[in-house]
Amino acid sequence: MSVVERRQALAEQVTLLDLVDRVLNKGVVVTGDITLSVADVDLVYVGLRLLLASAATLDREAAR
Amino acid sequence: MIDAPARTAWYVYGVAEDEAALSQLAEVELIRQGRLTAVVREVSLDEYDETVLPQRLNDRDWLEQNARAHEDVLQSAAAVTAIVPLRFGVIYRSREQVGQMLHERSDEFLVTLERVRGHVELGVKVWADMQMLGRTLADGEAPSAAGAGAAYLQRRRAEQERSRELAVRCAELAEEAHVRLDAVASAAVANRPQPRELTGRSEPMLLNGAYLVRDGDDRLRREVERLAAEHAELGLEYELTGPWPPHNFAGEAQ
Repeated sequence: MSVVERRQALAEQVTLLDLVDRVLNKGVVVTGDITLSVADVDLVYVGLRLLLASAATLDREAAR
Repeated sequence: MIDAPARTAWYVYGVAEDEAALSQLAEVELIRQGRLTAVVREVSLDEYDETVLPQRLNDRDWLEQNARAHEDVLQSAAAVTAIVPLRFGVIYRSREQVGQMLHERSDEFLVTLERVRGHVELGVKVWADMQMLGRTLADGEAPSAAGAGAAYLQRRRAEQERSRELAVRCAELAEEAHVRLDAVASAAVANRPQPRELTGRSEPMLLNGAYLVRDGDDRLRREVERLAAEHAELGLEYELTGPWPPHNFAGEAQ
């Protein structure tokens, strides 16, 4: 993947972050038969962090 | 051999009052109970079972597709009537249980619907170019003619003082922006700014606000433009997002 494509992936990630911030983190909390736990949502943020970190690393490598 | 019955369940997107307006929505079902209507979709438990859901959430494509689908349904519902968004991933094993939930929380839903009716949510983020903002602070003391060691300590102290001043300035600017935006909104929430590891930007986020404004009311947008113009020379950048369904105003009274 080129640096430009990486950057684009990064931009989409930011949009996904806004989406996750609202859709998974806000809204009325209702306990269904199956409900997303706070721990599940925390894991989503950890996942996003890792994705961004690896994209940034690839960016740096590509820039070398 | 008999196939096992399909394991399905009902995923709830949000709760509204006006069933007639919602009936035009595609790809969703409605469950009515009293004055309320839940917007739902029948989903396969293979996709949403609690044993697989945590793994699914870590699949970036699955997450994005399903979070967008959740948002899309709420957007189309919000375009035709007031809706209370539910958090992602609320699932019931039967339609009756969805009705039961509507019944039990009916008062709360009706109060929230009243609050968000005719409103949209707008998001405002403020980013700071710290170097530019730093240059707008008063210059520190001139270096003294003391010896090398003393000069070093003096410089260190000046740097620390400067970074404290910068942090205070950031907090003041975020506060000013939020107060001014709150003044032209029906309700306002200042969320924790997104950290740099998640935004991927080098500038820190000073404000991550959400504002409930009357649909068609232009005042918040204009206030953002004014703030952006006033703060441009300080190195601040304003970002306006939305309109969103009222995710941030769906809970208990704000």
